[in-house]
Amino acid sequence: MKTLPVLRDKKRYIAFEVTPGQQIKRRNLEKEILDSAGSLFGDTGLSEMNPRLISYNGRYGIIRCNRALTEETRAALACINISGGIRLSLHVLGISGTIKGATEKFIQKMLIKEPESGNK
Amino acid sequence: MSLFDRNFYDFIVHPSPGDPASITGIAMQAKKYGYAGIALVNTPLPENDTKNIPPDFSIYQAAGISCKPAKLRSEIQKYGNKTDIIIVRGGDELLNRAAVETPGLDILLQPEQFNHVHAKLARDRSITIGFDVGSIIRNRGDSRIRELTTMRRNLIYVRKYDLPAILTANATTCYDLRAPREMAALCGLFGMTQKEAADAMSTAPFEIIRKKTPDYIQNGIEVL
Repeated sequence: MKTLPVLRDKKRYIAFEVTPGQQIKRRNLEKEILDSAGSLFGDTGLSEMNPRLISYNGRYGIIRCNRALTEETRAALACINISGGIRLSLHVLGISGTIKGATEKFIQKMLIKEPESGNK
Repeated sequence: MSLFDRNFYDFIVHPSPGDPASITGIAMQAKKYGYAGIALVNTPLPENDTKNIPPDFSIYQAAGISCKPAKLRSEIQKYGNKTDIIIVRGGDELLNRAAVETPGLDILLQPEQFNHVHAKLARDRSITIGFDVGSIIRNRGDSRIRELTTMRRNLIYVRKYDLPAILTANATTCYDLRAPREMAALCGLFGMTQKEAADAMSTAPFEIIRKKTPDYIQNGIEVL
């Protein structure tokens, strides 16, 4: 049965970019995000924040979280610095209310920008 | 105008010694994140490598001093005219006291046992209090809790005595840097507001640099 619209969780989608030396696997990144948020806010904080990796292609990705805790999620993402011996850092490109918005506004924009800077 | 629409600076960057590529790597990454300048601590800028550094990106020289409290005065005077910025990493009460009493110091980074006496002296000499955000990023568990407690404590003094504050990621590689908005989010963990964090990354560092220019005479006085 569907939830009533007013009773649904209010969500935000965070578009991010990973700066790694090597490719990071999706499973490892997911684990790192939960690890970092868990050590920063504990189990109760994590259950409220409810971060989920929606999509990830090796460089760009989208994370879903609770609307009220976007700043905290951003802090948790900033705390990720190493995964299985590989140094990495996450850079938040933008925050949107829909997956479509996050993809179109932030990730596709970055993909369009890139070939130009490569030619220069 | 957005809060994060200005020139940001990160004043404490320790590139790994003997690796000139790391300086350009950090500079490129900082430029991408929206910083307008960085300061290298105890590292001379390699002369043949400046062409890779992006244009309109400024790199300053800083001296990080760590020594016994008794020697602090002579060490600070030694570096006084050589470098742009002088930084002392705070520690126990004695070291903090010696640091805030010495003229010429710019930044007291993450002092642990900071108190109201230090705060008053720091205000009189307009010493900036540094918050080491990098310690939140890199540590886990016990040590991070300690650092957060220290920063929460220091923020109370900064607000009460109206001291200038500065944020730094304390980066050694380009992976340690964080974008200004991320830094502000991390500062939210110990109670700093977004506006305070944005000021600490743009206005406070700019003031330090302005004080070092030859035109500057004294606080509140300017040549017309």
